Amino acid sequence: MALSLSFFPVLSMLLLALSRVAGAATVVYDFNITWVRANPDGLYERPTIGINGQWPLPVMTATINDTIVVNVDNQLGNQTTTIHFHGMFQNGTTDMDGPNQVTQCGIAPGSQFTYNFTVKQAGTYWYHSHYYGQYPDGLRAPFIISDPDYPYKGQFDEELVLSVSDWYHQEMRVLIPKFLSKANPTGAEPIPQAALFNDTQNLTVTVQPGKTYLIHLVNVGAFAGQYIWFEGHNMTIVEVDGVYTDEAEAEMIYISPAQRYSFMVTTKNETSTNYAFIGSMDTTLFDKIPNGLNWNVTGWLVYDSAKPLPTPALVDKFNDFDDFDLVPYDKKPLLPDPDQTITLDVMMGVLGDGKPYAFFQNISYVSQKVPTLYTVMSTGENATNPAVYGEFSNSFVLGHNQINEIVVNNHDSGKHPFHLHGHNFQVIARSEEQAGDFDPSNSSQTDYPAIPMRRDTITLNPNGNLVFRFASDNPGVWLFHCHIEWHMDQGLVATMVEAPLEIQKSLTIPQDHFDACRAANIPYAGNAAGNTIDVLDLAGANAPPGPLPAGFTTRGIVALVFSCISALLGLAVISWYGSVDMGAANKATEQQRIAEMNQPESHELVSPATTVVEAPEAETDTKTETEIEMER
Amino acid sequence: MPNVFAPQVFFIVFREVLEAVIIVSVLLSFLKQCLGQPDQDQKIYKRLVRQVWFGSLSGVFLCLVIGGIFIGVFYGVGKDIWSQSEDLWEGIFYLIATIIITVMGLALLRINKMKEKWRLKIAHALVDKAKHHNAKSWLGAWGKRNALFILPFITTMREGVEAVVFVGGVSLGLPATEFPLPVITGLLAGLFVGYLIYRGGNVLSIQLFLIASTSVLYLIAAGMFSKAVWSLQFHVFALRVGSDVAEEGNGPGSYDILESVWHVNCCNPETDNGWDVFNALLGWQNSATYGSVISYNIYWIAIMVAISCLLYEERTGSLPLKKQTLATLAKVPGLKRWAKKKQAISAEERAEIVRQGEAHLAGGAFLEAENSEEEDDRPAEK
Repeated sequence: MALSLSFFPVLSMLLLALSRVAGAATVVYDFNITWVRANPDGLYERPTIGINGQWPLPVMTATINDTIVVNVDNQLGNQTTTIHFHGMFQNGTTDMDGPNQVTQCGIAPGSQFTYNFTVKQAGTYWYHSHYYGQYPDGLRAPFIISDPDYPYKGQFDEELVLSVSDWYHQEMRVLIPKFLSKANPTGAEPIPQAALFNDTQNLTVTVQPGKTYLIHLVNVGAFAGQYIWFEGHNMTIVEVDGVYTDEAEAEMIYISPAQRYSFMVTTKNETSTNYAFIGSMDTTLFDKIPNGLNWNVTGWLVYDSAKPLPTPALVDKFNDFDDFDLVPYDKKPLLPDPDQTITLDVMMGVLGDGKPYAFFQNISYVSQKVPTLYTVMSTGENATNPAVYGEFSNSFVLGHNQINEIVVNNHDSGKHPFHLHGHNFQVIARSEEQAGDFDPSNSSQTDYPAIPMRRDTITLNPNGNLVFRFASDNPGVWLFHCHIEWHMDQGLVATMVEAPLEIQKSLTIPQDHFDACRAANIPYAGNAAGNTIDVLDLAGANAPPGPLPAGFTTRGIVALVFSCISALLGLAVISWYGSVDMGAANKATEQQRIAEMNQPESHELVSPATTVVEAPEAETDTKTETEIEMER
Repeated sequence: MPNVFAPQVFFIVFREVLEAVIIVSVLLSFLKQCLGQPDQDQKIYKRLVRQVWFGSLSGVFLCLVIGGIFIGVFYGVGKDIWSQSEDLWEGIFYLIATIIITVMGLALLRINKMKEKWRLKIAHALVDKAKHHNAKSWLGAWGKRNALFILPFITTMREGVEAVVFVGGVSLGLPATEFPLPVITGLLAGLFVGYLIYRGGNVLSIQLFLIASTSVLYLIAAGMFSKAVWSLQFHVFALRVGSDVAEEGNGPGSYDILESVWHVNCCNPETDNGWDVFNALLGWQNSATYGSVISYNIYWIAIMVAISCLLYEERTGSLPLKKQTLATLAKVPGLKRWAKKKQAISAEERAEIVRQGEAHLAGGAFLEAENSEEEDDRPAEK
């Protein structure tokens, strides 16, 4: 399926024009969420979650300082949903952030919900469902915020939006139980069936020669990182995750799920050939590569539509650009030493129900009975005590306007893209793979860059470590989690409760948010267990299954003892059976001796059975049949 | 005893050799009693003794050849097909092995019974041969003259082929290096004990030895039964998990939590030293399932019930309910003949048959071809 991209540049030009004229506007979106059947890779038609009867979803656009109003009407009929605007700081509007049971109750089927927030940031973002691994079913699309004072304006001729993702044929409600099951103890993630550019394949982008295009690239996938390159062209990176950067030249980019890059591509001056651009899924995370899987997706920069579309060349090695080397355009310096450091160790393991879970240290996230934000609003002074949020919401309380540092150590052999809601952060250290835990006393590791790069989703290398800093200047409840949907469902989530008392002072939660809770019978006040009276009593809070029993439990000891007893009894019975014959054997020996004594001259040996003449009398042991037979 | 000695092979060879030796010794005793008395013709006696030896040894030799071919072909050709569903095959083999050992094992404890059974069989065979020599074919005549060759030959052959089949059955999962040592030691042990029994000397200690070896044999068999069930359950689990199950080693995810009775992350018979001996002797698994534990206990209970029935039979003459069952079955058309055959031959009938056999032997039924017609109709004479 080929799709032309000419629509988007036109739209964005229009919006740029409009925003210059209108100033800060209110952009209203009405989203009717329904099921739509689609077949983006041409291999399999399946139901997807569409908006206003269409899939792929519309690209949201706005200008900096706009107010965005999104009226959501859930007409899925059989699934609850929420929408999270990825990368939005939601400063003062933490209740509009979107994660289910964190800042809101889910939008039940048939309910309406309004998101209303102001965007004070520009760049490339996206929006997606934040309900129990739902967005890979289709509820995701880019969200581009333009900036009249864009530092690179004038250096490009047109803007394009390019999304890249993996694609599954089966619905998440089928894949998740298969994944989180005791038949999958290694936690092997389901393998996608295809990769897509702009939710389609064989995308053609018509380009003019000698022009520069600004491409907003978003990875809206669930699992696979993608290597992106344009044959014959280089990319000049100018923005990551909404943070403008100094120009950085790259031949190839590695983009993890949820990350964004904006880069400029300058087209050639002649139109003799068309050029391919490729997205290649990172198969190192795939448990195995099924036969027939095509993990690449190809698009073309079409200079001349009459010319053929070339087959992309094979690449031996991926040498992708290291985003750690980016320098933010605003040259914001390294934040001072942190007031609070949180260390999180990533591990995967199996719990007592035999299913694979993911942990920060030994805590696997489970959403609690009351959304964490509503616990903040209803626990008064106790909101600064992380215990009220429940042990398994993995909550950390951050002070207002302090510097926070988070150290993430990867005790797993896979890559993880970690995302913090409500902020972007300075990445001050990111090790190569197999580097082990971060060692703050090792001076070679603490040699931080003076102007560290910033973004909101950062890739952690296998068995490596990562350190980042941010200022807690945004009171709110912000999730920190791996953006691989499978790992999120396994519980690789932590909650940052930032300045809870400030939240209480400044936030008013709209009525329709509480209506959503009432519609689904979810409590919206109290601690994690729903206890409004004694908020320090967490009895009844949600928890994951207990750990696997190690060693012998009572059941095991009883079983072992019983088995030993039955074996000993069995052996005793066998010995008894054998010894019963000993009486006869004994007797036989005796008889034989007697016989020999009576016939000393014959040295014949006869079987005892033939020489027994007398019937044994008053013997305590059993007569054998042979003796009975021989009594003649 | 990693990879050089398989206990189950030893016990089967031992048992079969013992039985073969007993057969030969019974034949020889028959001969001695009827023809070997000092007052009888030693030349004929010696000739017949030679026939018996020759027959039994040829039978044994032929078995070894057949056994060697069988094992060689089997291992040369058949091994690769199992690698994919290893646990399924292991489970099935262990089950076959357990059944074989269970059935065979108890007989070791009733050597006298074994001897008596063989006396009866041989006597039957002798009587039959005498009756059926009417066929005037060359084969018939030759057969009659060399009956004392053919009889031990056939019986040792049969015992030997039984041994080969049983050894194959219990050892289908074992590497080929585990064969030579137990076969040779089983052979030697069987010969030795059989000889001791023949001599009739110190039966008491022999019986103790037999009790001890049977106990060990049943421990192994119980362990094997438990292992069979365990392997089959593990196979089912591995099918669902796929190839990853091997990655987990000992740890979480390498076993089915819902079926688990105990699991320790050490002492794995497949990977840890020494524990494989425990596994071979007692069926130890570091990760036990409900199936493996329950089956172990059921096996022992079944053995205890079986032995009680056998003891009951010995005291009262027949298995509990056997008479009634056979009487009922005899009324069922079609099973009448079989049931009648199974109904216990009374002691008197048995003695009669043995006497007939001895008579035939003493009466020189097998000595000369020309005497045979005259001996036709003197079955009951003594």
